[in-house]
Amino acid sequence: MTPGTRFIERLFTAACYGALAVMVAALLLLLVPIFVKGMGALVFHGTVEYRRMRHELFDRGDGAQLAREQAQMQRAAQPMYAMLAEFEAALPTNPPAVRATQAAALRDLQQRLRVLLGPLPGEPQPALPRSQYGQTRWDRAQVKLHEVLYAEVWDYSNPDTMGQKMEVPRQEQFAGTALAPLFPFLQQHTRAILQPRLTCYWRFFTDASRDAHFFGGIKPELVGTLYLTLGAVLLAVPFGVLSAIYLVEFARDGLLVRVLRMCMNTLAGVPSIVFGLFGLACFINTMHVSPSKSVLAGSLTLALLILPTIIRAAEEALRAVPMTYREAAISLGATPWYAVISTVVPAALPGILTGVVISMGRAAGETAPIIFTAAVSVGQTLRIWDVLTQPTPVLSWNIYNVATEHEAVDEIRHVQFGMVLALVALVLLLNGAAIILRARMARALKG
Amino acid sequence: MHTRTITATLTALALSAVMATHAGEEIVVDGSTTVGPIAKAFAEYLMSQHPSLRISVSESGSGNGAKSLINGACQVATMSRPMKPQETLAAQVKGINPVAHIIAMDGLPIIVHPSNPLKGLTIEQARDIYFGRINNWQFLGGPNARIVRISRDTNSGTYECFMEMVMNKTRLANNVEYVGSNGAVRQRVMNTPAAIGYAGLGFVDATVKAVPVNGVMPTAATVLDNSYPLSRPLFMYTNGEPATGTFLHAFLTLCQTPKGKELIQAVGFVPLVEGGQQ
Repeated sequence: MTPGTRFIERLFTAACYGALAVMVAALLLLLVPIFVKGMGALVFHGTVEYRRMRHELFDRGDGAQLAREQAQMQRAAQPMYAMLAEFEAALPTNPPAVRATQAAALRDLQQRLRVLLGPLPGEPQPALPRSQYGQTRWDRAQVKLHEVLYAEVWDYSNPDTMGQKMEVPRQEQFAGTALAPLFPFLQQHTRAILQPRLTCYWRFFTDASRDAHFFGGIKPELVGTLYLTLGAVLLAVPFGVLSAIYLVEFARDGLLVRVLRMCMNTLAGVPSIVFGLFGLACFINTMHVSPSKSVLAGSLTLALLILPTIIRAAEEALRAVPMTYREAAISLGATPWYAVISTVVPAALPGILTGVVISMGRAAGETAPIIFTAAVSVGQTLRIWDVLTQPTPVLSWNIYNVATEHEAVDEIRHVQFGMVLALVALVLLLNGAAIILRARMARALKG
Repeated sequence: MHTRTITATLTALALSAVMATHAGEEIVVDGSTTVGPIAKAFAEYLMSQHPSLRISVSESGSGNGAKSLINGACQVATMSRPMKPQETLAAQVKGINPVAHIIAMDGLPIIVHPSNPLKGLTIEQARDIYFGRINNWQFLGGPNARIVRISRDTNSGTYECFMEMVMNKTRLANNVEYVGSNGAVRQRVMNTPAAIGYAGLGFVDATVKAVPVNGVMPTAATVLDNSYPLSRPLFMYTNGEPATGTFLHAFLTLCQTPKGKELIQAVGFVPLVEGGQQ
């Protein structure tokens, strides 16, 4: 070995390690935030408003304890409400010009306090759950507190640039009135009023969402994803494996088979949205497999999408089975058909399973094929017999929905992160289960 | 052993098919992303009142809502524009009789980044911006910054309303950026200082700045008295009139009840007033 080749060899080794390091770093960069932010949906500082919501909407928690906490909240906030009442009572005595601006400022402040602490005392219960409660999470409460304390004002004085954001203490609007002390009071007492406590919300995975993901969990999405994935695999695996067996074991390598293989390879490269539109046109609008979008239609579409992957993996696995297996089976008197079923397929099963696992992960994560065939933004958890007729919320689609379309994206980021965590965990879990199964199978075959 | 598993599976499937035909109280809603928040709020309210009721809501755009109703794939199509004659015709060919229900009013605010010093627009100026005749904020008294135009996609009812009320059915400039939902318009404008966009009233909050159009701010009052020039009704379409006493009927008439009006207000839109809306 000359020094030159040795150098190149070392360089190559270094490049390999470098690539590995980059891959690990990228994986960590991706997975760590997913895990950390996703956990925010499960473990957070819940306020007394969270515990009230949990009690009223989900019928959970200690009612007596809650009543005590609410009484404490009432006590802690009482001076603030007294200031509001005093200010409101003094309004009519002010000169008309001041009165209008002060009334507007008061309305604005009251609205912000409602967002932070829930409906003010004596107000009727709002119809929509999101307006029935103040901030349920302490991290969001701090953001909202800041909005109470500081008004956002834009300074447009420089005509050459866009305006600059300035934060003006809201206290200045109320200088010299009964409300001026409210702001320092609120700043000091928010913790006493909202009583944040470390909360573990494991039921995030088993609760249905309330009020368009404002409260509750993601059970309908989780169950919908499972139905769709398993449905797609159940539909695609028999056809995929049978096709592969035909192609490898029985088909003669003619023009027809070559065209078939080419079609399959093309199918594997078709963008997933095309499958989605095809599913809509074929299964829903033409064949009417269900009265509306449904898990069935979505599973059929996803099955088409993963079919090429499964066929290809199964083909490779079958080809890897040594010819001697077939010869041995046939020499023992098996028909070609029986030889395949009894000997070749079992030997190829671990390889086939790998293809199934890969396609399962793909089916769980795909969004485009189910937009028009199965997914809805809000819906109930499907019962098993609903899959034939009903559409369902799905993790992949709802992550998109909650991140872009939803009317209050910034309020429910934690739900979005929680959904991402759930989807990643689900795919890992499915893969893990299949890998264990595969290992067991391989061991059984050897033994 | 194996035959038993197969028999059990088949029985379960047959059973589920039977039960599927018996499961009755289900409403599938599809369509506009603008009407989405109202439909979701109505669904939440009705389902909390009637636990046996199951409502699913998709937000895929008014055009898709119409197509879905025409193909019989949903009971309620939410739309932020009226159905087009060709859509009505297509529905009738398939034996569907689309009936319009106005459920609320919307203002279609024109929004810019809060840092934008813009004090207002006329309809003509808005048209010039989106047509491509005005390309820089400095022509409107602002700083020297290229205008980033955000629009809804062509499947959207909001887009169609904008084309009709602002653009006089001309075309948009080539470099307009199309996004898929009202929420996405807001987020795009919120993150882009030189952007302009338009979205439903319920999507406009403090993160973006709605500007007066022809000198009028979009508010509940100006939308109701029609002084805001871009006011429009929001629709729900059904196949025929829903029978009284059904949940579908309750869903569609909720907007006339005090609770329904409160819900519409809570998600930022304008409930109808007694005596109807012209």
